[in-house]
Amino acid sequence: MKPLEAGQLWVMRVRAALVALVLLVAATAAEIILEHDRLPDGLIVAAVLPVVVWLVLIAPRRRWRAWGYRAGDTDLELAHGVWTQVRTLVPLDRVQHIDISQGPLERMFGVCRLVLHTAGTAHSLVLLPGLARDTAERMRDEIRARIGEERA
Amino acid sequence: MSALVPDRRVHPGTILIRFLREAPQTLLALPAGIAFMSDKGLWGALWVAGAAALVGLSFQWLNWHRFRYGVGGAEIVIESGILHRTRREIPFERIQDVDIEQALLARVFGVAKVRIETGGGGKDEGVLDSVGVDEAARLRAAVRAWREGDASSFAPTAAADAAPSPRILFAMDLPRVLLLGLFSFSLVYLGGLFALLQTFDDPLKSFFGIDIYDPGRWIGVADEAAHSRFTAGTVAALLIVAVLIGGAVSVVRTVARDYGFLFYSEGDRFRRVRGLLTRSEVVIAKRRIQLACRETGPVRRLFGWFQLSFQTLGAASDGSGRQVAAPLGRGETLAPILAEAGGLRLPPPPALTMVSERHIVRALIRRLFLPAACIAAASIWWRPALYLCALLPLLGVSAAVARRFHRYALDGDLLFVERGVWRQSLFVVPIGRAQAVTLERTWLQRKLGLATVDIDTAGASAMRTPRIIDISHDKAKTLAAEIAARAIGARPAAAPV
Repeated sequence: MKPLEAGQLWVMRVRAALVALVLLVAATAAEIILEHDRLPDGLIVAAVLPVVVWLVLIAPRRRWRAWGYRAGDTDLELAHGVWTQVRTLVPLDRVQHIDISQGPLERMFGVCRLVLHTAGTAHSLVLLPGLARDTAERMRDEIRARIGEERA
Repeated sequence: MSALVPDRRVHPGTILIRFLREAPQTLLALPAGIAFMSDKGLWGALWVAGAAALVGLSFQWLNWHRFRYGVGGAEIVIESGILHRTRREIPFERIQDVDIEQALLARVFGVAKVRIETGGGGKDEGVLDSVGVDEAARLRAAVRAWREGDASSFAPTAAADAAPSPRILFAMDLPRVLLLGLFSFSLVYLGGLFALLQTFDDPLKSFFGIDIYDPGRWIGVADEAAHSRFTAGTVAALLIVAVLIGGAVSVVRTVARDYGFLFYSEGDRFRRVRGLLTRSEVVIAKRRIQLACRETGPVRRLFGWFQLSFQTLGAASDGSGRQVAAPLGRGETLAPILAEAGGLRLPPPPALTMVSERHIVRALIRRLFLPAACIAAASIWWRPALYLCALLPLLGVSAAVARRFHRYALDGDLLFVERGVWRQSLFVVPIGRAQAVTLERTWLQRKLGLATVDIDTAGASAMRTPRIIDISHDKAKTLAAEIAARAIGARPAAAPV
């Protein structure tokens, strides 16, 4: 299994940091609103703080490490998930079409997502994030060649 | 873009049909609301209703007037829209088939709704609502004739002989339909009846002075019952009445849906005709069948009855990807249908293997832990809650039994998965139809060395999928790899999707 690019780890961290920021702001707002109540000062923020630390410092690395992929000749295998570990095997000739997408955050850290569309239901979108642009393009071209020869 | 100018309109009766169909919403709600607002009374309401009817009718007429279609040498063209015009061209080569449906109102007018089935995800791509019955047959004949390779024979008389000779695979006579109605007995309909009662709550109150939601009334009834000598008898009678009503409702429903059920094979497709009031005809292209599912309920399996359905890709006109092929049939009558559907078959009896015995452990933990915790918590405040512990063994037994009915087998190009204790399903999945294979391990499954194998197919519902829950991790890995490997080899020959 190949790991994702290090840039993806930063994408995950920044995303988590944004969520953490929202949480912190909400907690601070709650502190101010409930100022006159009998709660001791800083209780809510103190309660939120461990969550934030876990969210930003611990969880992203664990999640990033759980990701992996293996591009075989006939199939693509993905693995992800920390608590529930999921391994998905996609036979390449089942792929309907392929996208490469890149959000602003991903662009900043130089990674992109490979999106495989299959005709399935539960896994009609198979997502592989954290690829370098040229890797993703190479994989896309290989898979596309594979689809082409099946259809021919 | 073809230069074809569409010159046909749908049947004029459509105006009235559509108007009548939409009347309840527009006619009743709107003027009633207005009259209520403006205090004009009954005459005001009638006047507004009349005006609304006129507007509705002329709108439907305009709609009808602006909707045109035409059949060319190689395509069907539909132009619609009052202001915003849409021109849609459906090439014959993309048309899977032409479905014809006749609701009760349509049968009165002698028209039928024609749905042009294309491969595109089950959307309503081309619906002609509604054309005359003979015109519908003519359209179907045109598409079929083109398929036969003779694009020019668009003649009204070619309707019957263009089709390949059909072979009836499954039919139900009235007694069978009635039996099916009894088997599909469910008290859910009783709930529906109560909901209906609720809508009639107001008239009941105003006309008969009955308030079904007046607790005092029911307490009174219960009181009378309690003071009479037939307490147990009354309750039993009420129960029997409830069961009878439930049975009657499900029988009526089933007869309305499945009366005259016919399922036949016709070249590369299946055709299903059914219904008492709404006669519906559905076409299932054989190469679009993704998997077969044989289901049976607790009572049905005592008598050896099964339901067979196919999961298809986009062909279902009711939106779901599940089409019933045989609602109530014996095992031996189902085998020929399966064989016709691209060589599917039932598993040879001893071939299925049960999932790991640790499935029971996990089921016990999952099913017992939460209720036990709840009971423990409740007993802190209310000691008698501990009596509920008597229910726990029941849950335990159901968890233990589940494994016996959760079995699987990989046999050649087919995967068999059996699931469900109460309602048993047997999935027959052609390996070549697997879109993706997933191996899932939750925390508990990892501790027990188990994994869930999920086979994703096109058109699957979220709930009933051929998931194999809790087989040992090693077996799961080999099974998933095996399925993926065979999927490459066992690709159905003529399957674009």
